[in-house]
Amino acid sequence: MRKTSKQERKKWYFAYMLLIPTAVFLLAIFIYPIFQSLYWSFLHYDLLDGSPIKFVGFKNYIQILTDGQFWYSLWNAIWFTLFTCTMETILGFFCALLLNQNFRGRTLFRASIIIPWAILTMVNGLLWDTMLQPGSNGGAIQIVLHALHLLPQNSNPVWLATVTGSVFFAGIADIWKMTPFMTLLMLAGLQPISGEMYEAAMIDGAGFWKKIWLITIPQLKPAIIVAVVLRIMGAFRVYDILTEFTGSDTTSVTYLTFNNAFRYFYLGKASAMAWFSTLFIIGIIIYYIRILKKNMEEA
Amino acid sequence: MKKIQRSATDIIPRGYMWIGLILLFLFSVLPYVYLVTTSFSNQVEINAGHLFPQHPTLSNYRQLFSPKDSYALELIQAMRNSLEASILTTIIALIFGSMAAYAFARIKFPFRMTGLFAILSMQVLPTVSIVVPLYMMFRNGFGIPIPFTHYSIQLTGPLLNTPWALIISYASGTIPYVVWMVTGYFSAAPKELEEAAYIDGCGLWGTMIRIILPLSLPGLAATFIFSVLNNFDEFMFANAFTSTYASKTVPLFIAELVGKHSLPWGLMCAAGVVATIPFVILSMICYRWIVTGVTAGAVKG
Repeated sequence: MRKTSKQERKKWYFAYMLLIPTAVFLLAIFIYPIFQSLYWSFLHYDLLDGSPIKFVGFKNYIQILTDGQFWYSLWNAIWFTLFTCTMETILGFFCALLLNQNFRGRTLFRASIIIPWAILTMVNGLLWDTMLQPGSNGGAIQIVLHALHLLPQNSNPVWLATVTGSVFFAGIADIWKMTPFMTLLMLAGLQPISGEMYEAAMIDGAGFWKKIWLITIPQLKPAIIVAVVLRIMGAFRVYDILTEFTGSDTTSVTYLTFNNAFRYFYLGKASAMAWFSTLFIIGIIIYYIRILKKNMEEA
Repeated sequence: MKKIQRSATDIIPRGYMWIGLILLFLFSVLPYVYLVTTSFSNQVEINAGHLFPQHPTLSNYRQLFSPKDSYALELIQAMRNSLEASILTTIIALIFGSMAAYAFARIKFPFRMTGLFAILSMQVLPTVSIVVPLYMMFRNGFGIPIPFTHYSIQLTGPLLNTPWALIISYASGTIPYVVWMVTGYFSAAPKELEEAAYIDGCGLWGTMIRIILPLSLPGLAATFIFSVLNNFDEFMFANAFTSTYASKTVPLFIAELVGKHSLPWGLMCAAGVVATIPFVILSMICYRWIVTGVTAGAVKG
């Protein structure tokens, strides 16, 4: 009895030893900075004007929450997230269904959808920026729309001129790039669904939509939830692709935070913004972890 | 030629399936084809609004790589920086992360689940919340403060504009990812082999290195490729921590091309093609591994 417990404890020490490098690193580079920025969010901390650093309580938070700009950028980020995640989930679902079937050349088709995903985000932005240029400069999308007579010949809208336009088309570019990711996650989720269930449903006279509604979606639900939550968190912190489409920092809350920190050097205000969005994300994470835990217990 | 077996999981009728597949193929491939064709067009044709060049030209590539302009040097330097940062980060994260993953996957110890979930949650917190404190740390260099004084033992000099700033900041996201993925691969290795090795006197380290690591190599490879691609794509940390030509990464190089507002679309597309072709080819070749890298942990949960 004593011996096993001693052996057990030896194993514990071994486990903790293995964890030390990761734990020390994450404490120093992740946990400590996150709490440091929590502390800074209560300070007047401005690097540029040389004013003294002083404690100001909730002033930064009050300032950003009464500032229309912050809410506008937060709304843009939420809108972007809802738009891209909905489209990516729906498109990804049907792409996964398609690619799950048996047909000749399946590997080629499966590999071809990886192309958008393999392109760097910045090149993706560059590409869509090129395609969305007004007609006189030869943007592909206007040429195609003109040729198909979907757009009157004499109209050349400047799509990226407004904040709404930038966010919408950045969303389109994001959908193009990230739908393959959703497809892959759902394709993996489709693997364990056996043909027998569909056969049984067919005998009961279920058509295509009934099969999807009664078998595919319930079976795929864990994979869908995990994929959607992953994408929500990715989409909410959108920043990179927007820098190419617009100079306006109100297109996303991350963009606004970043500019406050590294363009104006309002470190206190930027920290308050970062913490506000962190709290927002933590809500989603708690939900996510509960699902993961449930999945693990079932497995 | 082997006959493709149809099965009951084929729920979309053949006709619709092919229509869908063709649309999907066009949707995935056409924009990239446009990027490539534009890179072979001259400015006159781009301005005239031609989708495909009537007179294909290499002039954009010639300009991109001409020694007169600084583009070529900058792009090569950026490629080197990006590769260095993303590969080194991944190696460090794989070493640290696999050790932690072994503990999580194979040893039952107190606070195991709490620790695992704490690490998982770090993968999803917004990176913008650590970017400011990291900037200050990198600006000052790392040191251990001596209590009750204003002095500290300085371990490193300032790290801004060095690859280390990128490696350290990238690792903050990569290590949790690696722990998550590799824990899954390690748990999948059969327990009996490990026990047999342990009884044969392999010891704890020996079992881990000789039995579990080799069994999980395909999974480690998938994680490696996926995280190199991910780090290569990173923009925010790179934008915050590097500002000199010698330290810039590829995404920054591309972003600045667009920012210059002179609109040399052909040249920009050529740069885009050069920066992405290696990855498009790599991901077509390593398709299977990347798919495992993306899906294994996420779907199993």
